[in-house]
Amino acid sequence: MTKRVLLAEDEPNIVESLTFLLERAGFDVTVETNGRLALEAAMADLPDVLVLDVMLPDLDGYEVLRQLRADRRAETLPVLMLTAKGQREDREMALKCGADLFITKPFANAEIISAVNKLADRRSD
Amino acid sequence: MNRKGDFQTDVSILGARIRQRRREIGVTQSELARRIGISASYLNLIEWNKRRIAGTLLRETAEALDLPLDELDGSSERRLAETLAEVAHFPALGALGIEDKRIGELIGRFPGWARGVAALARSERAALARANILSDRLSNDPFLGETVHRMLTRIAAIRSAAEIVTEYADLPADRRDRFNRIIHEESAALSEVGEALASYLDKAEEADPVLTPIDEVEAVFEARGNRFAEIEAAAGALTPQLTDPHPIPRRAKADALAEEKLGEVIDDVIMNRSRIATAAARARARRALVDYAAGAILMPMDTFATRSAELGYDIEALAASFSTDVEAVCHRLTALAGEGLPRFGYFRANAAGTIIEMIGLEGLAVPRYAAACPLWVLYRAQQSPEAVLRQRALFPSGARFVFVARARLAGPIGFGKPRHYLTDMLVMTEDDAARTVYAPDPSTFVEEVGPSCRLCPRRACGHRVEDPLSE
Repeated sequence: MTKRVLLAEDEPNIVESLTFLLERAGFDVTVETNGRLALEAAMADLPDVLVLDVMLPDLDGYEVLRQLRADRRAETLPVLMLTAKGQREDREMALKCGADLFITKPFANAEIISAVNKLADRRSD
Repeated sequence: MNRKGDFQTDVSILGARIRQRRREIGVTQSELARRIGISASYLNLIEWNKRRIAGTLLRETAEALDLPLDELDGSSERRLAETLAEVAHFPALGALGIEDKRIGELIGRFPGWARGVAALARSERAALARANILSDRLSNDPFLGETVHRMLTRIAAIRSAAEIVTEYADLPADRRDRFNRIIHEESAALSEVGEALASYLDKAEEADPVLTPIDEVEAVFEARGNRFAEIEAAAGALTPQLTDPHPIPRRAKADALAEEKLGEVIDDVIMNRSRIATAAARARARRALVDYAAGAILMPMDTFATRSAELGYDIEALAASFSTDVEAVCHRLTALAGEGLPRFGYFRANAAGTIIEMIGLEGLAVPRYAAACPLWVLYRAQQSPEAVLRQRALFPSGARFVFVARARLAGPIGFGKPRHYLTDMLVMTEDDAARTVYAPDPSTFVEEVGPSCRLCPRRACGHRVEDPLSE
């Protein structure tokens, strides 16, 4: 069965590239461009992996993650967080809020694909 | 080491200095005596160190000899010695074997070199302060943080699209075009961010080379030894106009008189007698000098000097005696000058621990742009507002100071409103403290403190938050 990825990212050009890459890697991709909608979408229908940008309108990535982790259903949802490079506090914060993995921008495409694959495999274990 | 030790003899050669200077400018003993209003025979006794000279007479003598007071009474040399002692104990120079016991000899034999080293030390301190400001700016500037984030986002989009175009050979033509357009769009956006960043950094470079208005104003006070004779002279006549015995209306009246009657004198000091470059600093200097003038009206210097000595420089007793507040008394004490009188410095800090005003004391190294040592009583006075706390402080250089701090309520109060405190702290050397009510006795606990972690060599201190600069 095709694994589902929810991509929460508000930069349209990055969304376009990531959607292309994830689809090519065999995932079914849904996109949300603001934090609140991403949270609602995830809770309405848990994806196999959530790719979550930190800087989102309405509700930032940390808050989305915090609320997800506070709900038992999403406690173990695999989450890959995208943060900006060099912002050390971001990285620490991402892990503290319960991200499984994080990748800093600018990233290599292969990094993202391999991280999402890893999280999706963990889901099926 | 007794840091003043090398120069204590200077006081006893004051007479010789007067004699020497008088001869240099070709004035006879009787002429000088006439100018300063004493008999020639008395001047003769002074010149041969058989009579002490201090206070007003010393100041008038310095004036008559056309010499700054601090040069005549040796305090400029003492300050030089203190600066050099600080240099000798600077952690980074620890291994060089500086002969810190021979500072007096250095100043005596090579005064030019000694002044040069002190000037370098001062400029090094200023450069460090500037470097700290710039590094603070880099790490906390919201514009820079936001811009870096925008750049990284643009770069991420370009990199990802470029990798797709090069790595997916089977990409349909329309998708390839689409990703090429993304690269194009994002590159243009990245250039814009880059340009904005470059122009922002250009502007930061052009900023005024003088650090801040606070520094400019402090420099004016320091150059004058915290004392403005022209304001003192004009203020005395206004004191009788303070008729209300209560501190608050009394202070308000003194402020109004200072503003109204001494405005011209103050403006003259700012415009013609000091080097102030910026409008912001002029405004700040004006506020500080109006404050100074109000203090001079409330506490005329002659009376103040006498009563301070009588009351042992007790800040609360003086405040009560002059019907004013402790802060005004602390300020006034820093203006006391004369042979045999203790010298005082003053600090004011807010609840965040920021030093918002500082009238320094030679030998007390304080970083302006970083927090000072958390062990200073300045920072714990707010735990017990209104109480006067004394601290016997030993610095790594061996210098001993007595700090006297008191936190007071500031701002409007009322039920349910937050109470904010400011801390006033008077500082003096331990030698000077001996002449005050704050004199520690031998059993008083000595606290090992420092200037700030960056400047402090006490490696084992449990309160250390940063490594020393010498690392």
